[in-house]
Amino acid sequence: MLGRFFERHPFWSVVILLAAALLLWAILAPWSEGVEDVLGRKRIFLNALFSGITLGALYFLVASGFTLIFGLMRNVNLAHGSLYLVGGYLGFEISEATGWWILAFPVVFVIAAAMGVILQWAVFRRMEGEELRQVLVTIGLSIVLADIMLWIWGGQSYTVLTPDWLAGPADLPIIAGRDRAGDYTYLRFPAVRIAILLAAIALGVAMWLGLNRTRIGMIIRAGVDDRAMLAAAGVRIQIVFVGVFAFGAGLAGIAGIVGGTFQSLSPGEDTRYLLASLVVVIVGGMGSIPGAALGALIIGVAEQFGSVYAPTYSVVLTFLIMALVLAFRPQGLMGRSR
Amino acid sequence: MAVAETASGTTPAPAGRIPPRYWVTGALLLLMPAIANDFFLYQVFGWAFILGTIALSLQFLAGYGGMVSLLQMSVAALAGYVVAILGTSGTVALSLGWPWWVVIPIALAGACLFATAVGALAVRTEGIYMIMITLAIAAAFFYFTRQNYSIFNGYSGFPGVVPPPVLGLDWRQPVPFYYLTLGVALVCYLVVLYVARAPFGLALQGVRDNPRRMAALGFDVFWHRVLAQGFAAVIAGLGGILLVWQNGQISPGTAGLPAVFDILVVAIVGGLRHPVGPYIGALIYVLLRAFAPDVLQALGLSGERFKMVVGIGFLAVVWWSPDGVLGLWDRWRALRAAGRDPLTGRAGR
Amino acid sequence: MSPAAPEGPRLAAAAGSGNALELRGVTKTFGALAALSDVTLSVRPGERRAVLGSNGAGKTTLFNCITGDFLPSSGTIRLFGEDVTRFPAHERIRRGLRRTYQISLLFGGLSVLDNVYLACRGVGRARFSLVRPRRSDPVMAQAQDLIAAVHLAAVQATAVAALSYGQQRQLEIALALAGAPRLILFDEPAAGLSPAERADLVAILTGLPAHIGFVIIEHDMDVALRVAERVTMMHNGRIFREGAPAEIEDDVEVQALYLGGGHGGGGGHG
Repeated sequence: MLGRFFERHPFWSVVILLAAALLLWAILAPWSEGVEDVLGRKRIFLNALFSGITLGALYFLVASGFTLIFGLMRNVNLAHGSLYLVGGYLGFEISEATGWWILAFPVVFVIAAAMGVILQWAVFRRMEGEELRQVLVTIGLSIVLADIMLWIWGGQSYTVLTPDWLAGPADLPIIAGRDRAGDYTYLRFPAVRIAILLAAIALGVAMWLGLNRTRIGMIIRAGVDDRAMLAAAGVRIQIVFVGVFAFGAGLAGIAGIVGGTFQSLSPGEDTRYLLASLVVVIVGGMGSIPGAALGALIIGVAEQFGSVYAPTYSVVLTFLIMALVLAFRPQGLMGRSR
Repeated sequence: MAVAETASGTTPAPAGRIPPRYWVTGALLLLMPAIANDFFLYQVFGWAFILGTIALSLQFLAGYGGMVSLLQMSVAALAGYVVAILGTSGTVALSLGWPWWVVIPIALAGACLFATAVGALAVRTEGIYMIMITLAIAAAFFYFTRQNYSIFNGYSGFPGVVPPPVLGLDWRQPVPFYYLTLGVALVCYLVVLYVARAPFGLALQGVRDNPRRMAALGFDVFWHRVLAQGFAAVIAGLGGILLVWQNGQISPGTAGLPAVFDILVVAIVGGLRHPVGPYIGALIYVLLRAFAPDVLQALGLSGERFKMVVGIGFLAVVWWSPDGVLGLWDRWRALRAAGRDPLTGRAGR
Repeated sequence: MSPAAPEGPRLAAAAGSGNALELRGVTKTFGALAALSDVTLSVRPGERRAVLGSNGAGKTTLFNCITGDFLPSSGTIRLFGEDVTRFPAHERIRRGLRRTYQISLLFGGLSVLDNVYLACRGVGRARFSLVRPRRSDPVMAQAQDLIAAVHLAAVQATAVAALSYGQQRQLEIALALAGAPRLILFDEPAAGLSPAERADLVAILTGLPAHIGFVIIEHDMDVALRVAERVTMMHNGRIFREGAPAEIEDDVEVQALYLGGGHGGGGGHG
């Protein structure tokens, strides 16, 4: 695939390669004073970059479920953000009650997946193909769910406590600058974020492998391309649908714990992450997992750089990226034209 | 006089006579200040007309153009912001204090331009994509107004925006404000009805039903959709200006996502098929909003759970009657007609 | 009958410049499937051409490429001497191209008159007009003439959805005649019509003003050979034969192909 891209777009390939090389240099090489005069402190740059990447990892967790559900079933679940927030609150309660942060993940995954099964079975199965009604019903559901959550957890914000073994910073083998003595100092970054980033990458790779190397993945991909054919081939499509919906909802749920750990949980976060998912899949391309990864990375990094270097206009930057993609590639960066 | 206008505008020529319910509604609306107290005039009817007008712009796009745009509240808020920024407000440092007859046309033009530009991006996609894209842009507008202090004054926005004292009247007094909002709502309603049967509106409905066929008749489908967005923006902008005057202020929350969804709720609950739908939906919404807390408290529940009532009501409507209250009304009439026909023979017809 | 009087100067300007329609090496692929391969075709102004072929021969794809519903994968399309390969559909319509569809409902809730009125608006000015038409509107008169020309005057106030199938097909032709057409693509206009309605259709087609050329896709050989001056046979996305109706009718290979394709020569229903 990469080879074909190079053949078709030699110019863009060179541009992308150059940009990647420049980025690599900016990360690895110590910055001279001249460079720091222009670009600011290297530590700030690196922090923005790595925060952006971990934010992208979080966005990927939320958006990949959204895009998978949309890609396979053409189901538009605008209650996806509610699943995120429910997952976050439940994760908070579980880790508070048991003291086991890690235990929250499987439990929340199962609960959120069960909510997804109910959604698919009770709502979407009854209005297949009626996109507008799906949108309306899930908006209604998200309004109700938001109010129930406000009822239970109130308006204050919660933070899920990081477990001891992941608390505190870790040194990365990346030069951040020099200290007064002139020695190199290295980038310190919260260990929990690194763990989450690695987990998200592992999950993304696993999803990609699952979709491309297993039988169930083949069924799902075939279903994305042509649903009538799948039904004709005798696959029990409703079972596959429920399974995918459960998986996507579960991901949104555990994303809530992740978000609650390195940011916070409060009313309104549900719509924020719903929107993040929307923007990510619009930029990356509807229904594509690699697209969700790329979109999440771009939006996460853009948001962090925006808030560091141009705080007033960080939203504009995100919006601008989306507008550019829509103007020149309406199907999204990795989306297929239809 | 308003009723006479209704007469010439709403009924297609062959039907000839106006059904009595139009006369009754018109007379009731005109005489409302004699019956209702200030709270009803200002908070219930005034607000319902404003919300209804903004939702009307969505009804025009969705009902006639097949484009469900979640941008209409942002467009309305933009017009409101322009009025606050160029006109007078409590934030003296940022407001320019221009006269109202300069400010209002600029506000409407700005809303129109914004919607046209966004429309040019959004109408390249269809159906569900359009909903998602307009939702994302509406959210971007909200976050931008909240972050930007140099133009939009960030979190606090603009307090103290009042209607100009035209004709020596204080238009924020309940009775003048009632007639002002009624007038704007009525004009917008009639204009939408009229345009729906003009070439532009007819062709827009053709584009909704079969865009390929319309292109094969020589219509530029893309521009038709974009211009429809611009047209709807003027209506939304009028609603937005009235909204600022009613609230006396504008801030990012005016176009926050709950407000964006409220417009959708109002339009859907009323019904998208006819321009009267949004106003019915708005009245229901406003009445719920005004009285649900009291009712909830009377039932021993917390009045704060009002949102849940709205959400459940909305769910019930889209679940059982996707055509909203208008759909229910049509069904009821069909039932009644079906029930009466065998009894009275052709007398009913 | 003269449904649409030609606009003199525009027509004269185009008439001198060769062919009404000219396709060169037009290919259209969908994934690995080539729906059209290397189609080269020219139609003179005022010529009546039939395109025949079994299902899947690429006839409708050919129409879709000509009208701009699809962009061809390669090749060029010229209309009245102008390269329109990359033009959007509505720009081609404004150059005098028209097309009918097999499924003809434009706007079922509107009356016949409104539908034809819209079609006249589409190729005229003031498409975006916000003002309702008055009774004296010349476009309205134009629409009424067209309706009379396709024998629908009696039902012009009826909603389109309430028309009979045959009447809907006639309306479809009226829509194609709106404005000043110079070349019309008819997509199976006789499909599903009764024998009497077919005779009516042949009368309408042969009675079109001489300056209006057309290309007709038709399964019914009778209709096609009676209205066409020249016939193009397509098979598997390629042009297979071209000639006068009599030559095509007598061609042994064509007969084998056409009859073998499962269509009776007489009254196949498409």
